[in-house]
Amino acid sequence: MEPIRSYASQEIEQQTSPIEPQKKPKSKKRKVWVPGLLLLTPILLFIFGFFVIPMLYILYLSFISTDNLGGVEAVYSIKNYTQLFSDSYYLSSLWLTVKISLYSVLVALFLGYPVALTMAKSSARIRGYITLLIVSPLLVSIVVRNFGWYLLLLPNGTINQTLMALGIIDAPLKLLFSEIGVVIGLSNAYLPFMILSIVASLYNIDPSLDKAGAILGASPFRRFFSITLPLSIPGIVSGCILVFSLSMSAYVTPALMGGANVPVMPVVIYDQINNLLHWTFGSALSYILLATTVISVAVFTRAFEKGKFKEVFR
Amino acid sequence: MKTFGGLRVAVAVLAIIYILIPLIVVIPASFTSANYPSFPAEGFSLQWYAKILERPEFLEAFLNSAKFAALAALFSVIFGTLGALGIAKYDIPGKSYITALLTSPLSVPQLVLGIALLMYFTPMMLAGTSTGFLIAHIVICIPYVMRLVLTGLSGFDYNLERAAAILGANPLTVFMKVTLPLIGSAAISGGLFAFLTSFDNVTVSLFMVSPEMRTLPIEIFSQMQDAYNPIVASVSSVVIFISVLLIVILEKIQGVGKVFGGSHHTNG
Repeated sequence: MEPIRSYASQEIEQQTSPIEPQKKPKSKKRKVWVPGLLLLTPILLFIFGFFVIPMLYILYLSFISTDNLGGVEAVYSIKNYTQLFSDSYYLSSLWLTVKISLYSVLVALFLGYPVALTMAKSSARIRGYITLLIVSPLLVSIVVRNFGWYLLLLPNGTINQTLMALGIIDAPLKLLFSEIGVVIGLSNAYLPFMILSIVASLYNIDPSLDKAGAILGASPFRRFFSITLPLSIPGIVSGCILVFSLSMSAYVTPALMGGANVPVMPVVIYDQINNLLHWTFGSALSYILLATTVISVAVFTRAFEKGKFKEVFR
Repeated sequence: MKTFGGLRVAVAVLAIIYILIPLIVVIPASFTSANYPSFPAEGFSLQWYAKILERPEFLEAFLNSAKFAALAALFSVIFGTLGALGIAKYDIPGKSYITALLTSPLSVPQLVLGIALLMYFTPMMLAGTSTGFLIAHIVICIPYVMRLVLTGLSGFDYNLERAAAILGANPLTVFMKVTLPLIGSAAISGGLFAFLTSFDNVTVSLFMVSPEMRTLPIEIFSQMQDAYNPIVASVSSVVIFISVLLIVILEKIQGVGKVFGGSHHTNG
């Protein structure tokens, strides 16, 4: 029943940390770093050449404005960025992306927290099995998982037939090619990340706190809301950030589960780049999407770190 | 107290079913005898498996996926293992920045990475080529290999290497007989994980494929966008089978949880 990380093991960790400075002289013998840099050269060149430079290249492209025929109109213009605000289509797409991502976060949080709590309270063996069950689907291609949802969400699919057989609904719900379908697909795909984030912070809670609460007569309900939940907020926050960022930039799931009915930003960007060949505008939209994600995450984190529960982040 | 714990376990079981159900329904659906995909399947037949063999594009796509995933795994393991050794073994100035840089492709949305590489490759004549495809896949595999090998190296005792050197082994022998066997399992699981990452990838691949060079997930993706056909179910079942096989091996070597455990990236 106890979380696996015992108080004793925490003590050992605390004891080992002061020893670390003494280790320093040992590593000083290896202060020659030229061979290390040689080992790093291939990977550094590769990442610079095929990641850093391409990312900077599209940032540069995003400041080139073109006319309708694709000819260069002006270099170093912010027209691609201001176009977002002049056309409500892009703004509403951005808002739709944020909304769908928030719904996915909420679904993942409400389904994920009980799993994380169950994992923290289980034996190491059970926890291993649960980890395997929730992580393995991440290693199967997203198109396959989306196809499974397609079968379930069809107008005459499993979910609609079950609901109709139970008499809950009279006519099939529009689950596929709708916002609901996209939220289901995204929350399903990223739920494991939410669980793993929360579990990590639940392990760090000192079990003697819960025991103290029980001895002092607090009910399990009270102990959960006064001890476990507040102390697991860092895990909740990092899980929410992870699911939010992943949902904001997901392309495949919205394309397959929502199609043209749910034009989230990644779908719009893909269309601009691959179908309309508006490369410079597509680049600008990419950076707008990145910036929106980063800013939302920063605001969200700050609100929690400055808020009522700021102590738990230390 | 009972109801509180009971509710928790009930929702947890529901959530785990929720995670697994899209994969569970695909396999029975692939045995349908009908001409449209459905779950539960209607009747039983293996016709949709036989039809895969009649469609050369699926076979070709599968071979492409396997070939490029193997190559991407090989290159990312070589680059990643060398790099991780350099970081773990030597006191390189700013090594935390270097690690952050090398794992940063995870923090950029794959959509944006795909776009960036497409635009970068086009003037270089690499867009739509197999070289471009391979480079893109190495970029997405490198962070995972780096992380796995760095974790594997964290418990590495460099005294063993020194002992071997003192006993007269030359640097190559030390590497082959001491270093490699000790970090081998981390490198192998890094390679397997890289293989799966590349084999499964859709988003980056979408920008890298050409009509002549397509992969299995791309083939499934376009089938799903055009007309739904039960062949998607049988092809998907084959993908699930391959993934499960690799997951079992990965679990035996390293533990699948470790790949995602700890401080996970913010793939935003």
